[in-house]
Amino acid sequence: MGSVKQLFAVILLIFIAVFFAGCGKNKESVVVVYVSEDQVFSEPILRDFEKETGIRVKAVYDTEEAKSTGVMNRLIGEKGNPQADVYWANEPDRAELLKEVAIVAPYLSPNAQEIPGQFKDPDGYWTGFSARARVLLVNKNAKKKPVSMQAYTDPRWKGKAVIANPLFGTTTDLIAAVFSLWGDEKAKAFMDAMKKNQVKISTSNGESADWVAQGQFDFSIVDSDDANNRIRQNKPVEMIFPDQGKGEMGTLILPNVALLIKGAPHPDNAKRLIDYLLSKETERKLAFADCAQIPLHPGVEIPPNVPRLEKIKVMAVDYRQIGKKTSEIQPFLKTWVGY
Amino acid sequence: MGGLLKLKRVVLFFAVVCLAGLGLAPILVMVSKSLIVNGQLSLAHYASLLSPRTLILLRQSLELSCVTALLATALGVPLGILCARTDLPLRSLWAVLFTLPFLLPPYIIAFCWSLMLGSQGFVALLFGPAASQAFSAWFVGFPGCVVTLATTFMPIVMLLTMTYIRTINPSLEEAARLFAPWPPVLAKITIPVIRPGILLAVILVFLLTLGEFSVPMFFRYDVFPVESFIQFSAFYSFGAATAAAIPLAVITLLALLVERIFLLEKSYQLRPGHAEAGLVIRLGASRWWFFACVSLLGLLFVVLPLLVLLFHSGSFSTYYTALSKAGDSLVRSLIYATLGASLLVVLGFLCGYFIHNRMLGLWRGMDTLTIFFFALPSPVIGIGLISLWNQPATNFVYGTFLIIILGYIIQYTALTSRITLSALTLIPPSMEEAARMVGAGWIRRMVLIVAPLVKRGLVAGWLVGYIFCLRDIGITMMVYPPGNDTLPVRTFTLMANNPTQLIAALCAIMMAATLVPLGALCLFWKRKGVAHGAD
Repeated sequence: MGSVKQLFAVILLIFIAVFFAGCGKNKESVVVVYVSEDQVFSEPILRDFEKETGIRVKAVYDTEEAKSTGVMNRLIGEKGNPQADVYWANEPDRAELLKEVAIVAPYLSPNAQEIPGQFKDPDGYWTGFSARARVLLVNKNAKKKPVSMQAYTDPRWKGKAVIANPLFGTTTDLIAAVFSLWGDEKAKAFMDAMKKNQVKISTSNGESADWVAQGQFDFSIVDSDDANNRIRQNKPVEMIFPDQGKGEMGTLILPNVALLIKGAPHPDNAKRLIDYLLSKETERKLAFADCAQIPLHPGVEIPPNVPRLEKIKVMAVDYRQIGKKTSEIQPFLKTWVGY
Repeated sequence: MGGLLKLKRVVLFFAVVCLAGLGLAPILVMVSKSLIVNGQLSLAHYASLLSPRTLILLRQSLELSCVTALLATALGVPLGILCARTDLPLRSLWAVLFTLPFLLPPYIIAFCWSLMLGSQGFVALLFGPAASQAFSAWFVGFPGCVVTLATTFMPIVMLLTMTYIRTINPSLEEAARLFAPWPPVLAKITIPVIRPGILLAVILVFLLTLGEFSVPMFFRYDVFPVESFIQFSAFYSFGAATAAAIPLAVITLLALLVERIFLLEKSYQLRPGHAEAGLVIRLGASRWWFFACVSLLGLLFVVLPLLVLLFHSGSFSTYYTALSKAGDSLVRSLIYATLGASLLVVLGFLCGYFIHNRMLGLWRGMDTLTIFFFALPSPVIGIGLISLWNQPATNFVYGTFLIIILGYIIQYTALTSRITLSALTLIPPSMEEAARMVGAGWIRRMVLIVAPLVKRGLVAGWLVGYIFCLRDIGITMMVYPPGNDTLPVRTFTLMANNPTQLIAALCAIMMAATLVPLGALCLFWKRKGVAHGAD
């Protein structure tokens, strides 16, 4: 019995020590950030912020398993007593939803002035930075190379195209953007035509990219970071910015988004972090990182594999509309996917 | 005497009310939210349960849970008997080996299978890319879910079979052996006697599969937890997600009913107190055939998937990088799992004792409630905990690791409670009664009589609790305080766009993090004599 008592005494001591260690840290200068951008890319930026400002960053990262929606659910669940100061979203759609449910507060960062108006909320509820593009990843052995999203409905690629589940993530944004550009009727006809053309649905953009890289499919529309990742791995694939021709709709650009949480426990530190995320230096770092994101500020230094924003025909969409459209079309998408 | 009786009632009542309150409150919050639509009382979220799709989900959920439980039982019971009672070569090693998949979150095992079946995987290497693609196309879906979940949860059946088989009164088998060879003795004596353990294992596997969403999501097989998860992640509809979890609760209650019907009024000849080692089944000439079969099974379902994982983890430098990225998370995981398991043992003991003694007319309700908490999808509990505890007055809980521990207690007390209950059934009531007759108070009887007698059960409960807490991802992901993640959470957050080698190394570290403390503890207890202890 003595050993059992000793064991429980040790456990009790650990319990007390851990509890008081947790309580004792309340006085240091901190900022709490919830992050949907992949940890591998976002963590180095946050570490740099810590080093440069001395403000300790406490982060909650999202998981691929939860389709990068875990922290969104936390933010909504914590609305009454916010724990987060800043939300670093990886797409503007979520920012609009959070604005709608009054979870975010406006903040016009001085570093946001040069960011084009399309990529920020006019009232300052969210501001975009470093963007991904929705690009076509094409297997080099494919006989024909698609250059437009319309390839999904082209019989030449019947059964040879794959798309990530449109219920989640950036594929939802793309489909919502198509709905808001084309109108419901045309977009639904397009989706039905995709189905008839035997387009395969994958669980994620990463899986789509893998299948194309393995030659199981000719092409897929994925995020530019997924495409760059496979190119860096020397897979037999190439990246094509879709719909760049005259009269075509252009490529959807999806910036990261920084948001200030309403009632943030550390508002001053939150603003400093947002300023840091929106800086040209952060955009430069994310351009040179493996995610190869496109800076939104003009004149930021970039590597050769990252195109300048002004060289891309950008899909002319209003992200606020995409946010609303996403909610509207979810029941249709659920049926379309077969859930 | 009256005072002591009162103390016993107060302590037990307090423990069960605490547990019921802690668990029920967040769920009630979620249910009440599910009844409000646009500020109005409404059943709109529940209307979808009447759709034809509900039947499809119901059928698929039940199919997956039943087939997984059957396969895990078909493999786990023979393996348990082979490892516990026969002269099979290396049987202890097999027991450890087959337990390995259970130490990792099921999603990681699914990840291993995808590595094995990928274009660079083992199947493609052996049989060519065409065969790999064909096998992969067949595997993704129901077969993938069943194989992954059965290999992950089979150790529960195997370990419980091993535990229960050691409690059989040897005189029963000895008497039977005088007239029959081992096969009929096993079929007519051994297995019927350990039926409560097997049934408990089957129900645990059934419920764990029923509540699992990450593997069906990975292999794109549509079941209720996936539906609930979609409501959370695609629609952010907490109400609809809770409604989608209701059928799971109903199935859970039905599973418990089935268990009660099967075990009703059954009495079992289990050996009380000290006992000599049970009979060893000599496999004779078949020994090496059994060895070959077990080796093949181990190779296919454990060694190959895990070897693929370890192979991908690559060099020593990858492990160094993994530790530098997740060392702090590893330490937190070990601390939280230790604390969680310890509290689970205490609460499980009190709860198990409460149920065993059929107290206050509430014992059956308490048993049902803990199993109900165990079967609920973790996002429902997680969001419920946030809604309830995220208040300025309770920040000392929500803002610290205590919220994680609370989540562990709610979801996993069923495990330690049931294990304690099983251990308590082995103690003759006369022992506690004798102590009471000579004036020993309830606390003294608990500490000096009951606890030592169920010591093995408590240690087993602690180990099981430790494993479940250490590998937990569902609740921890939802509520961990910022900057205080655990190793599984860190592994999952690093999965996106990180090299496979790093993820594989983190998984290997996680296995080691589970095995090393468990091994050390087993050695410690063995030296102290618990392994051959009183029960």
